[in-house]
Amino acid sequence: MWIKLIGCLLVIISSAWTGFSLAERYNKRPREIRQLIACIASLGSHIYYVSLPLAEALERASQIAEGPVRELFQQTALHIHTTGWLSAGQAFQKALGETSEKLALNKPEQEILLVLAAILGTVDQSEQQKQLELAMNELEKVHKEAIAARDQNVKMYRYLGVCVGLATAILLI
Amino acid sequence: MISEINWEQTVFAFLAPKLAQILRACSVNLLNQTMELRIRTDRPLELITLSGSQFITVGGKETCSKGTAYHCCRGDLEQTLQLISRNSLYAFEEELKMGFLTITGGHRIGLAGQAILQNGQIKALKNISSLNFRLARAIKNAANLVLPYVIIPGTGQVYNTLIISPPRCGKTTLLRDLTRQLSNGIPELSFPGVQVGLVDERSEIAACRDGIPTADLGPRIDVLDGCPKAEGLLMLIRSMGPDVVVTDELGRQNDVNALHEALHAGVKVIASVHGQNVCDINSRPYICELISHKYFDRYIILNKRPVIGSVSEIISAKTNEVLYSQEIGVKVCG
Repeated sequence: MWIKLIGCLLVIISSAWTGFSLAERYNKRPREIRQLIACIASLGSHIYYVSLPLAEALERASQIAEGPVRELFQQTALHIHTTGWLSAGQAFQKALGETSEKLALNKPEQEILLVLAAILGTVDQSEQQKQLELAMNELEKVHKEAIAARDQNVKMYRYLGVCVGLATAILLI
Repeated sequence: MISEINWEQTVFAFLAPKLAQILRACSVNLLNQTMELRIRTDRPLELITLSGSQFITVGGKETCSKGTAYHCCRGDLEQTLQLISRNSLYAFEEELKMGFLTITGGHRIGLAGQAILQNGQIKALKNISSLNFRLARAIKNAANLVLPYVIIPGTGQVYNTLIISPPRCGKTTLLRDLTRQLSNGIPELSFPGVQVGLVDERSEIAACRDGIPTADLGPRIDVLDGCPKAEGLLMLIRSMGPDVVVTDELGRQNDVNALHEALHAGVKVIASVHGQNVCDINSRPYICELISHKYFDRYIILNKRPVIGSVSEIISAKTNEVLYSQEIGVKVCG
């Protein structure tokens, strides 16, 4: 009997934990997109007003973010710094590959970032500014969608996790 | 004393990995004689040495045959350009318009490709197909011969001096060493160091990296890097209060006007200009004013004979007296 009870408890906890993790991902995504927008705006300032080389500009822009987004910008800066012949696009792709597991970003925002990175450092300042603004506008749209998805899904996944756990426990007993 | 080039940090670090690997295999003797490195898409890798042009094989050997030389590919140029521009072409817009940029060590890299025009003006270069690394070598004490003619004895001041020289005759080398010695002070000539302001529009004299000079220019130096000469001269005078301002390659109307202002502000000026001799300068627009208004006290004329950087003549501008003539055959720099 005790073994059954402990088993059920474990099933409920693991199911609830899965539900809460999925919910947390929906929670983190808009926060990370917001950080990305702030970093890109900061990158624009460093490029447009100070003409900092890209690696330094990315490093400084990363300072206003935290967690995986900060790591993404720092890793990109590091790749450009250490392997200077890599294009910004290649460096960003490499950094994204290294940090994608920690990031809550989905495909649409990752694609926006890769399109932006492909052109970073290859055009003049005014063109660069246009591309940065375009990326920020696109991310704003994705941010709104991410907030709607969060409001819709966070509670649902939490309840679902707990409920699936309870249902499985009942069936097992 | 010719200072050796730090190839690893100032040249190889800016080359595509394949090109750096080939040049690392070259003999030290060949590298020491190299003045230019030319990289062209689908053309042989070429070094210009004191003895002429040499193609380079994959193994780093010299060859005269185009067939056996390493042919640079588009990727080599793209990667080299990424390294030179630090992945940031936007930071070098003005340099790209002029067709060259300067890297650590003061080496000037010339670029050729397809021009993009906007309203008839060059906006940028695309499809860069040729790169020319013109290697700069600092020569310590290159200015020893001219210093006694530039310094006013016993006053701690210098004459307004114009260096006249054809391209690649050592005027930047001479200016760099003059700057260093004036900033350091010269005990042998009882000359205490003076505050020197340097407007280094092309980053060639001070070879600044992130605004900090990498060339030895002494302790009393303030560098305005990458700034147009005309604005820079007046900015430096207003902001840093130098005793002497130094600048390279005068040529435009604005430069002449700024020089006029600087001289009236009581600051001494040492500058250089492209030309064969004083008569040659006299026939050129704007710059002729420098001669006709006798803005300078000394003209130093350089040439390539017998070697690059030889002083041909030193003339007192006010009296037209020849203070030094090459007949003595003294080598100054190079």
